[in-house]
Amino acid sequence: MQSNNPAQRRYIRRFVPAMVGYVVVLFGSTWVERVYHPEGAALFLLSLLPALPLLAVLVVMGLYLAEERDEFIRNRLITAMIAGIGITLAVTTVWGFLEGSEMVPHFPTFLAFPLWCGSFGVVQCALNLRDRMGGGGA
Amino acid sequence: MKNRLRVLRAERAWSQQDLAERLEVSRQSVNAVETGRYDPSLPLAFKIADVFDLTIEDIFTNPAKENDQ
Repeated sequence: MQSNNPAQRRYIRRFVPAMVGYVVVLFGSTWVERVYHPEGAALFLLSLLPALPLLAVLVVMGLYLAEERDEFIRNRLITAMIAGIGITLAVTTVWGFLEGSEMVPHFPTFLAFPLWCGSFGVVQCALNLRDRMGGGGA
Repeated sequence: MKNRLRVLRAERAWSQQDLAERLEVSRQSVNAVETGRYDPSLPLAFKIADVFDLTIEDIFTNPAKENDQ
């Protein structure tokens, strides 16, 4: 994504702190868990903390979609996101059945989000490439 | 959707970037519309028509009438 319009610049300004927050909270909560061995409600809250910045990332993405004024760019992003959902559902569905037969190891559900991000990122790159190859020039 | 954007740009010696700036969209968007890979919304089509001081029908070919032309 080129950060050359106001909506894209706002997206980057929101996305980076959310991801930095995720890394800090993830390492922080892991450290607290190992050192203090919390239990019950404290452990519940501690385990929940790393998910919050990722939920914020989802909100940031939603805000970007709502604020992007370039309809072609928005349309392409939505296409990539929907394709990413399809890939994620396909992978987790197939994996779930294989897991049920103990043919593959357990798939932690928190990996669904990075799987979706990676999937729609790849599709986004493919669409970018298609548009560049589409030519038309100057 | 077939259109005359490339010809109209050429008549005015505008690059895709020039047109993109006038329309307040990305150059990629202009390229996608021009090459028929993306059909613009009605508001964007009106904006394109305004920039060239023409009507939408002067720029875009009605898909239902493509075979007539």
